[in-house]
Amino acid sequence: MIIAELLTYPFMQRALIAGAILGVLLASLGVLATLRKMAFFGEGVAHASLAGIAIALLAGFAPLPFAIAWAIFIAVVIYALERSTKLPSDTLIGILFTASMALGVILIGQTQGYQPELLSFLFGSILTIRGIDLIVIASFAVIIMIWLLASLRQLTYLSLSEESAAVAGIPVKLQTLLLYIALAIATVLGVKILGIILVPALIVLPPATSRMLTHSFKSYFVMSIVIAEVVILSGLVSSYIFDFPSGATIVLVGTVVFLTAAAVSGLTKKS
Amino acid sequence: MPTSSHKTNKPKVATKNMHAHKDRADLHSALTVQHLCVSFDNNEVLKDVSFTLSEGTIAAVIGPNGSGKTTLISTILGLVKPEKGEIKILGRHLHEVRHLIGYVPQRFHFDKYFPITVREYLDLARHKNHAKSRIEEKIREVGLDLSILTAKLGTLSGGQLQRVLIAQAILNNPSILILDEPATGIDIVGEAAFVNILKHLNEEHNTTILLVSHDVTMVMKFVDEVICVNKKLLCAGPPRTALTPRKLEDLYGGESHLYEHSH
Repeated sequence: MIIAELLTYPFMQRALIAGAILGVLLASLGVLATLRKMAFFGEGVAHASLAGIAIALLAGFAPLPFAIAWAIFIAVVIYALERSTKLPSDTLIGILFTASMALGVILIGQTQGYQPELLSFLFGSILTIRGIDLIVIASFAVIIMIWLLASLRQLTYLSLSEESAAVAGIPVKLQTLLLYIALAIATVLGVKILGIILVPALIVLPPATSRMLTHSFKSYFVMSIVIAEVVILSGLVSSYIFDFPSGATIVLVGTVVFLTAAAVSGLTKKS
Repeated sequence: MPTSSHKTNKPKVATKNMHAHKDRADLHSALTVQHLCVSFDNNEVLKDVSFTLSEGTIAAVIGPNGSGKTTLISTILGLVKPEKGEIKILGRHLHEVRHLIGYVPQRFHFDKYFPITVREYLDLARHKNHAKSRIEEKIREVGLDLSILTAKLGTLSGGQLQRVLIAQAILNNPSILILDEPATGIDIVGEAAFVNILKHLNEEHNTTILLVSHDVTMVMKFVDEVICVNKKLLCAGPPRTALTPRKLEDLYGGESHLYEHSH
């Protein structure tokens, strides 16, 4: 009854469609990101995108495309520094994301008046997803998923062993750079619903949950997407029913699903 | 240990000083390394290394720790860029013949909880032109039961994983199989089985095999040729003739002897 009612609202329709697309996108990339221990990368890029959003708001640009461009820039810088300095990846990401976020905070201080869009980027809001956002999310998602599915064998191989993948002739550097860029774009696309602070959870939680329940890569991949869809859509509906912030509700639903899977997995192993 | 069938009657390794050997002219070259120099941060790791390996040879690169054995293999595989020198595989550059090379790494570092079955792992390396049935064929060839295909890769024992890695390396019927310290972590029984697999590949498919090993006594049992490296090429040729006490002393320092395994 409530679900039928909420489906009549255009903002809710847009949020559910965006959520469904992001579920597929974030879970698919999250599978590879968690296997490559890149969870902190998503965290870093999401936080770093604050500077991009702040610059866009100050300059009067559309925040989402500008935040995407900024996130791609950050991803390329992380990739380049990882290969040209001796600092560990997490240290580099930590420096870049805090610096970019600090820049964002200072720039936001220069904007005048109340910034509802800024708050929606920080904590996520289903109310602010416009038709144009949906088109941007869908367009990038299609491009990324075409690349991801075409390269899945290569990406899986290099997630297992970069050395063996390189010997097999896989373009390791190119595919790694593309994965960084795809992950950066997907993270920013998820910011509207989940918020900067919570979007990395969707990269980590579905694959982490799926990993405890599956045995093969194929089932791990599919199960991650199914879990992401269930978590996002039920989280969005719950946030509407209980009038909770969408991002926080989705993440809490995801955490409950993860803990349930951990308990089931633990019980199965013991028995 | 399987019976040793040395093929020392057909010398297959030529150093730059050995090119004059007449019997080598008839042999096709599987691998040619010429004047190879490799440095890391101005630290010379390999200096002017040259040798030729003929098709169908089983050869071992030997030398003490830090002698540049793994660097040599990594350079041949294109993982390390040489400072100077040229490498030809089957007479061509690496990028032209990459699909003809199989590789078993020294340590296959991977997340043991990576959710992937043995079949899925092997399929990652399968060339698109080859049928999926090749996976079963190669698993049998390395002496494993087909039931292992549904097992999770991270649950395999050291010996099983070693065989799976070899199965993956030979999946596309490579002309050259390169193995880096392949017997590390395998017990004596496993080592004997492993040697038999390599000999079978060499005899059945005429696969050229180049392996890195620190166990000179073990490689003496079955390789045709040794390539002794300690920053530079110290000796090359059939082990019984190349590995003189003097050369061993040069290679490892002090008094060095070879002990025969009793198994």
